[in-house]
Amino acid sequence: MEQLYQYAWLIPVLPLLGAMLVGIGLISVNKATNNLRQIVAVFIVSIIGTAMVLSFALFWSQIHGHETYGRAIEWASAGDFHLQVGYTIDHLASLMLVIVTTVAFLVMIYTDGYMAHDPGYVRFYAYLSIFSSSMLGLVISPNLVQIYIFWELVGMCSYLLIGFWYDRKAAADACQKAFVTNRVGDFGLLLGMLGLYWATGSFDFAVVGERLEELVTSGALSAGLATLFAVLVFLGPVAKSAQFPLHVWLPDAMEGPTPISALIHAATMVAAGVFLIARIYPILESVPTAMTIIAWTGAFTAFLGASIALTQNDIKKGLAYSTMSQLGYMVMAMGLGSYSAGLFHLMTHAYFKAMLFLCSGSVIHGMEAVVGHNAVLAQDMRLMGGLRKYMPITAGTFLIGNLAICGIPPFAGFWSKDEILGQAFTANPVLWGVGWATAGLTAFYMFRMYFMTFEGEFRGNDEGIRQQLLTSAGVAFGPGAMDAEEGATHGHDESPHESPLTMALPLVLLAVPSFALGWIGRPWANYFEEFIHAPGEIVSEMGIEPFDFQEFAIMAGLSVAIATVGIIVAYLMYRAKKIDPAAIAKKYPALYRLSLNKWYFDEIYYNVFIVGCRRLARQIMEVDYRVVDGAVNLTGLATLLSGEGLKYLETGRAQFYALIVFAAVLGFVLVFSIV
Amino acid sequence: MANFPWLTTVILFPIVASLLIPFIPDKDGKTVRWYSLTVGLIDFAIIVYAFCNGYDLSNPNLQLVESYTWIPQLDLKWSVGVDGLSMPLVVLTGFITTLAIMAAWPVTFKPKLFYFLMLAMYGGQIAVFAVQDMLLFFLVWELELVPVYLILSIWGGKKRLYAATKFILYTAGGSLFILIAALTMAFYGDNVTFDMSAIAAKDYSLNLQLLLYSGFLIAYGVKLPIFPLHTWLPDAHGEATAPAHMLLAGILLKMGGYALLRMNAGMLPDAHAFFAPVLVILGVVNIIYAALTSFAQRNLKRKIAYSSISHMGFVLIGIASFTDLGVSGAMLQMISHGLIGASLFFMVGATYDRTHTLMLDEMGGVGQKMKKVFAMWTTCSMASLALPGMSGFVAELMIFVGFATSDAYSNTFRIIIVSLMAVGVILTPIYLLSMLREMLYGPENKELVEHTKLVDAEPREVFIIACLLIPIIGIGLYPKIVTQVYDSTTHQLTALLRNSVPSLMQEASTASNPYNLISTTAPEVETVVNH
Repeated sequence: MEQLYQYAWLIPVLPLLGAMLVGIGLISVNKATNNLRQIVAVFIVSIIGTAMVLSFALFWSQIHGHETYGRAIEWASAGDFHLQVGYTIDHLASLMLVIVTTVAFLVMIYTDGYMAHDPGYVRFYAYLSIFSSSMLGLVISPNLVQIYIFWELVGMCSYLLIGFWYDRKAAADACQKAFVTNRVGDFGLLLGMLGLYWATGSFDFAVVGERLEELVTSGALSAGLATLFAVLVFLGPVAKSAQFPLHVWLPDAMEGPTPISALIHAATMVAAGVFLIARIYPILESVPTAMTIIAWTGAFTAFLGASIALTQNDIKKGLAYSTMSQLGYMVMAMGLGSYSAGLFHLMTHAYFKAMLFLCSGSVIHGMEAVVGHNAVLAQDMRLMGGLRKYMPITAGTFLIGNLAICGIPPFAGFWSKDEILGQAFTANPVLWGVGWATAGLTAFYMFRMYFMTFEGEFRGNDEGIRQQLLTSAGVAFGPGAMDAEEGATHGHDESPHESPLTMALPLVLLAVPSFALGWIGRPWANYFEEFIHAPGEIVSEMGIEPFDFQEFAIMAGLSVAIATVGIIVAYLMYRAKKIDPAAIAKKYPALYRLSLNKWYFDEIYYNVFIVGCRRLARQIMEVDYRVVDGAVNLTGLATLLSGEGLKYLETGRAQFYALIVFAAVLGFVLVFSIV
Repeated sequence: MANFPWLTTVILFPIVASLLIPFIPDKDGKTVRWYSLTVGLIDFAIIVYAFCNGYDLSNPNLQLVESYTWIPQLDLKWSVGVDGLSMPLVVLTGFITTLAIMAAWPVTFKPKLFYFLMLAMYGGQIAVFAVQDMLLFFLVWELELVPVYLILSIWGGKKRLYAATKFILYTAGGSLFILIAALTMAFYGDNVTFDMSAIAAKDYSLNLQLLLYSGFLIAYGVKLPIFPLHTWLPDAHGEATAPAHMLLAGILLKMGGYALLRMNAGMLPDAHAFFAPVLVILGVVNIIYAALTSFAQRNLKRKIAYSSISHMGFVLIGIASFTDLGVSGAMLQMISHGLIGASLFFMVGATYDRTHTLMLDEMGGVGQKMKKVFAMWTTCSMASLALPGMSGFVAELMIFVGFATSDAYSNTFRIIIVSLMAVGVILTPIYLLSMLREMLYGPENKELVEHTKLVDAEPREVFIIACLLIPIIGIGLYPKIVTQVYDSTTHQLTALLRNSVPSLMQEASTASNPYNLISTTAPEVETVVNH
């Protein structure tokens, strides 16, 4: 068993080596490597499979009570400063390893079908592998610096993958937006990390937490400063987990291929923010104000995401806002101190949201057969409908994911979401209210999505809607989008088809945890909490706080009730057509437009930050050109004039120059020996 | 072999070899370039061999010292030697110059003169880092300008004469301060000497130190460059060819940083204690000002040139940090930027060879046909924006941590400076990624594709970038391979600097606070700023 731990570093290193091998192949023998295609895919998938087996072994050993294992080597040093890197395997790390490797494994299998016709097939696998490596490195990091390192690396992978189709203008804009927004978060993370190091002299989570508490209680460090550091560190998760106000990149990130949206922008990387909050939990515990800020940020984001998702017509954008909203739940849970509940929701969400995204990919794949490779048409739910007939597996698994996210028992999401809401109620009823209302919105928009996509009549061949979508897209995106329209808008089929086995199989496999995983966290037999609990917390909490069935029934009943209301309203509006959604939109135009335009965040940020930054940069360049450089050119003129004057002094004799220089030096020495 | 004059050999070998170039029968430059490359490789091999065998990493003092009297009347000695400050830079010089010769492969205009100048530069640059005599330092500092001037003015772009003149006026103007300061230091006191260690040992009055320090600061500030003495750089870069770029960004800028460490900090530590806050502020100005200017630039070469200025700001802050980590980070940032700057400028050259334009507005979507160029641009930009796993990140992180924990400054000052430095962390990806987006991403620019043929990178270009990326990533993954090379010297230097700060000397005697929390009652250095 010890040997397993000694070689645990292989888990992130193996995918890295795989990616490097493929990458070198692509650079040196491009054609040959590109022609290998499925051989490369099998190679990369088997590597991640190996990592998955290792992760399960570690997980198993952790469940059976193996103590936390850590190894480190000295990485950088200067004088008496030493910085170590290494890895830590504890309960949390092993759980995250399992989540990341399983989702990555299934997504990679799915990719074979989804990207089958893409010329960048091999490159895509290389990127996927390097992402897996960075993400796995992140979850086993023992200190803040190493977290920061991998934090940036996953951000870079996200950048590369969002911009995977780099000939599309929208993708080019989106990947830069994602990277820069994340850098704003990293800015905070870096400053917070430096502040904590300055205060405590360590980067290690436990040590920092311990010393910070000591400093705050003894008064050596003011509580305000401690809060500031904690909030700065929290800016990292705010950006990575798409929390308000740095959430704007996530919906745009959907420009990347769908497997990426499932793996990075739903299941793993965006959840890294929640993971980091869990890791720095010992630090946060001593600063309650920061915890409150975290809880409210999460709650607001949950509501914000859900309110925008209500009106989205792009199936991936809708899911993206739903991800944002669910991440809000997790962050809120962490802020309320429900460590275990937040991570439980992270786990269940990783599986069911990955599945929902893969389903949407399957739908898009099917739609492309009808409408051609045009994101404007293939992803718009107004062109879908009735797909259940053509793609039953996708529809079935999507429905399971839907029931899970809406919190209908006994699906996985019910248990985790209900635990969060239950704990929120005891901590702060207002936050519970926000979460509860959001649950209703979630049920509504998810079933709106389901009914628009899979039920009713297929609308994909309606030329009227197509034209309408193309014109509105053209207006919305400006002249740049005209190029995209020239792409094939005509598919080769009349009706969509079910996706191939490599795509359908991961869906079915992911449906299993989406359905059943919640059972490990039943409130009356919470194995999950037994395994994952906040550091320092007493394990046998259940013994102290006996399970109260009545309380559980009330809380669960309320959540299920609001979800059912949401589902029924969605049914009436989009299936039975008893209520006309357009009429409601007309009745409250301001609210409707607010939601449709994503609360105008993009517009505000564009006008304030992007335009402002550009203007400032241009002004500074002008200053540089006219003032700083201008002054120099003026000096040039002055020397020219004085040179004319000096001409009469210059005799051309070297001795004379030497004399002048010598006299100057002598003068210097004289002056300063007197001083 | 212990007494073999290794350093003299590595300096003189390329220069002597360059003198043979006129006698090589060659019409189209093919023989000459192979000849120069061989010379470069041999010299680099000698450098590596000499340091592997004769250099002791744990010894912080000068090693491989040679000293021969040259002109006894002037007390001018040919004395060379290396310590931790110069040794890594000598290796960097050999490495980058050899790669620059390889990057100059397509040069067909006056090839003999070109390669002659390249080899002359090779020796001259190493000499700048190796000489230990003040007068000699001034001479080689001046001499190494001549080849750069000629390369700029003969092989440059349209405005090459303006750029070359500006370059020579700036740097020669700066050198005047070196000369005056050097002579003052040599003639000061009882004995007249040009030997650097003897000069450093002299006891100057504080006022004289301050004056000398400002003289050096102007001279080296031009080279580094420091705002507002930087405007020659974008012009010089805007007109230079790719190999000249690589040398300018890779090595010449490092001379400024090296001389700041060697002379300003090493010889005038008391003045350094006064000037350090100024350096820090100038460093922050460099970082933010140049990053914003770079963002506004539409010309690719000028954009990267300003990015160089921005990155050199970190060096200044590291030098002024009074911590082991900060000074070590400044050294690493110089080495790292030498590699990254050279690779970015090489990519600019490679792109220009294909698009025949440097204006971003005239490009767009060039990555579609040139996939390898796309990959190399992305990797080099990632290195430049300090992506972890690459050298720039480690260097910047060391400077960040070093400055944040520096006990020489008050808390407020540190908080402000660190926050402003971190703003640079946001600005860097903005200008670099915007550049990539406008150049490589999106649909192809139809006008560009019509009259130019975009051919993907050839193996030679991939090889050069790979050579630069291997150390960049190597340092990023395990920085100790480089930091341990100079750690003993920078540690000694930091100890010297800390000794000259009054508040730090007192602190050493009192019991240190638990952890790093410095008690706010300790007197701070930067109260001196108000002078």
